[in-house]
Amino acid sequence: MEGLKKEVVMNDHKLTLEQLSTKYSVDLTKGLSPKEAQEILTREGPNTLTPPPTTPEWVKFCKQLFGGFSILLWIGAILCFMAYGIQMYFSEHATRDNLYLGIVLAVVVVTTGCFSYYQEAKSSRIMESFKSMVPQKALVIRDGEKMQINAQNVVVGDLVEVKGGDRIPADIRLISAEGCKVDNSSLTGESEPQTRSPDFTHENPLETQNICFFSTNCVQGTARGIVIATGDSTMMGRIATLTSGLAAGKTPIAREIEHFIHLITSVAIFLGVVFFGISIILGYGWLEAVIFLIGIIVANVPEGLLATVTVCLTLTAKRMARKNCLVKNLEAVETLGSTSTICSDKTGTLTQNRMTVAHLWFDKTIYKADTSEEQIGKTFAKSSDTWFILAGIAGLCNRAEFKAAQETLPIAKRATAGDASESALLKFIEQYYSSVKEMREKNPKVAEIPFNSTNKYQMSIHLREDSSQDHVLMMKGAPERILEFCSSYMLNGHEYPIDDEMKEAFQNAYLELGGLGERVLGFCFLNLPKTFSKGFKFNTDKINFPMNNLCFVGLISMIDPPRAAVPDAVGKCRNAGIKVIMVTGDHPITAKAIARGVGIISEGAKIEEDITAQLKVPNSQINNREVKAIVVHGSELKDLSSEQLDNILQSHREIVFARTSPQQKLIIVEGCQRLGAIVAVTGDGVNDSPALKKADIGIAMGIAGSDVSKEAADMILLDDNFASIVTGVEEGRLIFDNLKKSIAYTLTSNIPEITPFLLFIILSIPLPLGTITILCIDLGTDMVPAISLAYESAESDIMKRAPRNPKTDNLVNHRLIGMAYGQIGVIQALAGFFTYFVILAENGFKPLDLLGIRLNWENRYLNDLEDSYGQQWTFEQRKVVEFTCQTAFFVSIVVVQWSDLIICKTRRNSVFQQGMKNKILIFGLLEETLLAAFLSYTPGMDVALRMYPLKIFWWLCATPYSLLIFIYDEIRKFTIRRHPGGWLESETYY
Amino acid sequence: MTKKDKKSFNQSLAEWKLFIYNPTKGEFLGRTAKSWGLILLFYLVFYGFLATLFTFTMWVMLQTLNDEVPKYRDQISSPGLMVFPKPVSALEYSFSMSDPQSYKGYIEDLKKFLKPYALEAQKNLIDCTGGILFEQKGPVYKACQFPVTLLEECSGVSDPSFGYSSGHPCVLVKMNRIIGLKPQGNPRIDCSVSKVGYLQPLVAVQLGLGASSAPKEATVECKIVDSPNLKNHDDRDKFLGRVAFKITMHA
Repeated sequence: MEGLKKEVVMNDHKLTLEQLSTKYSVDLTKGLSPKEAQEILTREGPNTLTPPPTTPEWVKFCKQLFGGFSILLWIGAILCFMAYGIQMYFSEHATRDNLYLGIVLAVVVVTTGCFSYYQEAKSSRIMESFKSMVPQKALVIRDGEKMQINAQNVVVGDLVEVKGGDRIPADIRLISAEGCKVDNSSLTGESEPQTRSPDFTHENPLETQNICFFSTNCVQGTARGIVIATGDSTMMGRIATLTSGLAAGKTPIAREIEHFIHLITSVAIFLGVVFFGISIILGYGWLEAVIFLIGIIVANVPEGLLATVTVCLTLTAKRMARKNCLVKNLEAVETLGSTSTICSDKTGTLTQNRMTVAHLWFDKTIYKADTSEEQIGKTFAKSSDTWFILAGIAGLCNRAEFKAAQETLPIAKRATAGDASESALLKFIEQYYSSVKEMREKNPKVAEIPFNSTNKYQMSIHLREDSSQDHVLMMKGAPERILEFCSSYMLNGHEYPIDDEMKEAFQNAYLELGGLGERVLGFCFLNLPKTFSKGFKFNTDKINFPMNNLCFVGLISMIDPPRAAVPDAVGKCRNAGIKVIMVTGDHPITAKAIARGVGIISEGAKIEEDITAQLKVPNSQINNREVKAIVVHGSELKDLSSEQLDNILQSHREIVFARTSPQQKLIIVEGCQRLGAIVAVTGDGVNDSPALKKADIGIAMGIAGSDVSKEAADMILLDDNFASIVTGVEEGRLIFDNLKKSIAYTLTSNIPEITPFLLFIILSIPLPLGTITILCIDLGTDMVPAISLAYESAESDIMKRAPRNPKTDNLVNHRLIGMAYGQIGVIQALAGFFTYFVILAENGFKPLDLLGIRLNWENRYLNDLEDSYGQQWTFEQRKVVEFTCQTAFFVSIVVVQWSDLIICKTRRNSVFQQGMKNKILIFGLLEETLLAAFLSYTPGMDVALRMYPLKIFWWLCATPYSLLIFIYDEIRKFTIRRHPGGWLESETYY
Repeated sequence: MTKKDKKSFNQSLAEWKLFIYNPTKGEFLGRTAKSWGLILLFYLVFYGFLATLFTFTMWVMLQTLNDEVPKYRDQISSPGLMVFPKPVSALEYSFSMSDPQSYKGYIEDLKKFLKPYALEAQKNLIDCTGGILFEQKGPVYKACQFPVTLLEECSGVSDPSFGYSSGHPCVLVKMNRIIGLKPQGNPRIDCSVSKVGYLQPLVAVQLGLGASSAPKEATVECKIVDSPNLKNHDDRDKFLGRVAFKITMHA
């Protein structure tokens, strides 16, 4: 694994053609023979990427069934069956309660497991639809014959030919090329097409011109080369292997649930053991004590919570999907909320991934063009004659054209054929000047020299529109090259000879635009003399026309502009305490310009360029306020130790990594994680996928993203827009807060559910609350209200606070347990017991006479048990009273849960500030009440669930306690608001 | 790997120790003495308040109760029947006529049960007319006499062994007491398989099983009959207005 993280060593690009021919024993003109190719294919295997080991469906299902929270319920179920077994073995009249409880627990786990499996299967089906299943073809030359074969049959040593529009079938060392450009963005993140030629230009195989990489695209031109690697050994293959070899860590919410399980289990075992001891001391038998122990532990299991949490997460996932964040893994819903660092890719995520004209320079003035996605016309000096000429050159000396049949689309959205910069010019002229098509029809092209990397210019000769006999020569290219051809320049439509002042102005403009990270092109023209009238044969190989003393017109600069919503989104992230780091394969200047444009580097920030100088200064002496932004070059990053990297990450608030390799992205992510950050990584290319996998949450792009990146990611932005991440963060934070509330609500009723059993043991009173009624609360009345808390709106602006600290700010902490169990839960239990004692007393059993009555009460042969008034009760008669009490206890819990639900709506604010706008919550209140009434009053419930109708007055017994809960908590929250950071907050604010 | 595990184990042990007592911060179980004091004080006050409130509401509730009549009697609208000797694990009596030890427990139980019915104990009670409902309106209530002699052979007066030694074992059937219950009609307890000395509210069943050497069995079922408001059949409650028991006698 570590080996893969290192940079790839490759030297094929350094070889001469002869060496290459020898190394792969192939004829550079005829290629391999079919027989040789077949042999190699058998030996090396097909040219495909080994698909990442897919988890079998049943394993996924089992993970849902036995992962995380479910394990708690399974243990509960097993304990129940054990208890039932023990009871069965030793007593014939064993109650079936434990058996039922065990079955219900198992059913709950299986149902929720199926539910979340179904949810995830659904989102992975959406994933499947992304995959394109078109088989790739490749043109190979074997024995001198060109043949189309399936790309997977290409072997090492094959001579292949690629042309514009093809996907590169393998890693290729070029031996010849004509105007070849490749789009390496999926591998390196560079947004501009790269020129490819047979020349060895750079030590780094990724940057040298004579290598084309598997699965990148050839944009234009043609090239021939020898395959030097296929399948998994290609650059792309290595990255894919690196990705699938990385183990994705646990999601933060999974860690939180684990922490919660630890807490709950500790409480359960503590209570169980204490009461085991007590029951032994009270003289119960060992067996009974063990049954009690199991009973208490199981009673602590919040049966409904697993379902509640799953439903809450699902609801949020759905809400996020509506806002273009598709969550692959349910648990990842919350992860964005706790994210403290976002490592964002540049191309496509922050930018539009579309070259657009940004600035023009003519008449010695820089004009700004509109780069927004909508491209609604914005005005600049259109009246100048220079502009007409400049527009003419940009439109005519241009090989790009619109693809057919998209006249209805806005110009910016139309697809074009041709180089990215030329397309940008084409769209720009179409938008701001006139129809390029008409222009070209009026000024037909008679000769052309296409752009190449040695000339660095493009020239074309057109018939002039105004005089059909004359020609005009137009040229565009690298500004310094263009200026060399010129002797005059145009100012407001008039020609002037070039002087030093103009040269200086030109230099300044060129530097300024270049400094913005923009690609600058110069434009010039020459009206050819009459001697070159219509019909003259222009020869572009042996130039037979003048190509000097041209007239310089102006500069046009282009950039892949930031998406409109991104600066705002970055600002929101900043407010939310999230550090946004740009990690890109692109050049530092472009990266820096975009970073400034979107606010990753804030305006006026001093950028530290020379990190080596800084590293010599001891850490303590670095003035963080002065050097808060930094641009790190990939080549520098390579030499850094992990301590130095940590240092950079820690001491700079604004960081841009440029020219980074996939391996380095991974190292950066690991560095952030080492510093305790929860890292989100966005990316679309294959090069991003290792980092996506390693990140706490990997975010892939739905439109531009490669399959590999989508596979590795946890979340997919359906609109490729960075701004959608902010929505995700907001939703994630909200669900974390609301889960806390939901859990607090659900846990509270655990106390009135456990205490009856405890007092049954200690005081030997008739059992105040039975297993069935407990289940009715946990899986019945509590469910909808608990879920409704997921719809609760935020108490304050959650996007203005720092991300939670995963170490200290837990989902469930001792304060939550203290509040739920120690305070509200106890009041609830008292409410239940009060109701219980009222009913028994009103039926003849006064509270004091109940103490110690258990053995007689439970004796089914004692049918004349006397109450406080001397009345004699048969076993069944007192059981009916007991079950009536249990029903009333259940109803009391519902009554006190009303106010618990209302107080759980907020953690700090008063309910009067928060309001009762949550309609689902109001529905929840009604639903639990109606359900309780239904369970109590429906005829036949006495047989089915042993629940009995209650007198109306018994519903009211718990209301004073319900009121007390509300008043107590309002006072508590009022004190917390009054004394921020005070004792009450530190002990009870969860 | 093992080395690493061991280290982490030692580490966690050390962390635990530090959690239990941290000398530098003076923390015990993660809290300083002051912190413990405050939190305990808080809960002391909190629970104290709750206890007071609970006691208060209970007191209020008890004030609403009547000392003589329970507030609701709808849960026992109809009396159950109970048999003596008291059944222990099942409604089955088994004894051997020739072995006094086998029925000693039954006899003692019956004696104990009949003690309050002795003439001595009943002398303060009123002699009521049989067959007429005796209604009173407090505040002082009197009960009617129930002369134990009405039980004849089963009274234990003439036969201290309640017929067990002679193969004529007595089982007493009692109707449960319910305050304010006014039976309608002319209720009586009717037992199938019987040789009944019927007297309300107590009934004695004496079985003539005879003195034969073979073990003998008899199943007896008693019911309250002839009263429209006293139920004698309930699917779930086998003792509501009825009782069934079995006697097995060995020689």
